[in-house]
Amino acid sequence: MIRELLRNIFFYTIILVFQLFVFNQINLLGYITPFLYLIIFIHYKTSYNKTILIFLGFITGVIIDLSVQTYGCHTFATITICYFRGWIEKYSFGVNSNLPSAMISGTQLINRLTFYGIIVVFHSIIYYSLVFFNIELFWTIVLNIIINSIITFIIIWLISQLISNK
Amino acid sequence: MQSIINSIVANRNLIIYLILSFISFNSLYINSSVHYNGIGKTATYLSGKSSFFSSSINSYFKLKDENQKLIDENLKLKEIELEYKNQIVEYKSLESNSIINGSVIFNSINKSKNIIVIDKGTNGGVNEEMGVISSKGIVGIIKSVTENYASIISVLNTDLKVNAILKNSSTIGSITWDGLNSKILKLNDIPLSSSIKIGDTIVTGGMSFYFPKGIPIGTISNYDNSSLEGYYEIDVSAFNDFSSLSNLYILERNDNDEIKILLND
Repeated sequence: MIRELLRNIFFYTIILVFQLFVFNQINLLGYITPFLYLIIFIHYKTSYNKTILIFLGFITGVIIDLSVQTYGCHTFATITICYFRGWIEKYSFGVNSNLPSAMISGTQLINRLTFYGIIVVFHSIIYYSLVFFNIELFWTIVLNIIINSIITFIIIWLISQLISNK
Repeated sequence: MQSIINSIVANRNLIIYLILSFISFNSLYINSSVHYNGIGKTATYLSGKSSFFSSSINSYFKLKDENQKLIDENLKLKEIELEYKNQIVEYKSLESNSIINGSVIFNSINKSKNIIVIDKGTNGGVNEEMGVISSKGIVGIIKSVTENYASIISVLNTDLKVNAILKNSSTIGSITWDGLNSKILKLNDIPLSSSIKIGDTIVTGGMSFYFPKGIPIGTISNYDNSSLEGYYEIDVSAFNDFSSLSNLYILERNDNDEIKILLND
């Protein structure tokens, strides 16, 4: 139990450090910043407490916001996906979502792809709508959502494969 | 009480989510000018919409008050207008001192001696021999007064003769009515030597106890210069529609007595 907690804290810290000091500095084509930290909320186990997940999302969002000066855009996007994660799980995994086991192993590939995809796209939609906050920039927002979602999705997918293979 | 606590516990995630959302939006609103302006704009739009809705309902119920206010305002403006006109012709000695507002409660136009009755009498400050006008022009002269009502000899009364001038040339004449058409008055005493044309405006002349100079009466609609007496016979189409009078203004003049004393001397 203690070991599991320590391992999770270690995982969380590593991801956050990578996000803050590596991925936040990446600026592909001028506007692409992959959101690696979403992997924390993807890998949060279904059996853990949902309230803690929301607070975890809030703290993570605040830290990222402070580092890139977005004043709450990340916070709102992360707490929203944390709050709706239960529904996204149900939609992606169907009846299997109630299983207490860790969700990465032992599920269909298509279910996992759906789950990753929904979380990444949902987060990007909320984040970019909030950051630009101007209906006149609609197509800029859509372009950002599409490109960023794809890059983020690929990175998270690759790192997830790496973790689960270990 | 137990059930309230139970429902709070059951919905704790939603409550926490809403509180944290509020905190992050608040931080956006405070720190980012883009979001400050955007949220501010939305708030202004919403409050504008809702207050428009409530005010349109309110204003419907306040129509009566609003009407009264407009009448009062009109009264003041009329006073200013008259004062202004008097100033222009330097006729200050005869300027009317104040105006009283009254509503028509009886009106006739189909007799040869038409009378209008209004809802203001001595209690409202109305006295005999005051001039009465409407927003469009001259109406008549107060004939008799009770405590709460007053009767007016309308211009549409064969007994009444009002001093009038041609606005452009200041030729003096007098307005009467022949008892036939309620829209047509007669302008008399204009000598054939003066030039007139159809469309000329006729206003009150000021040589009268009742009306200051410059109150509109009507325009020349037709004239006949074949008279042997040396005067035109002029038809004047009145500005006022006497069949639809409602609000009237009674001109109160304090200097009539002084003039009468002078004339009697």
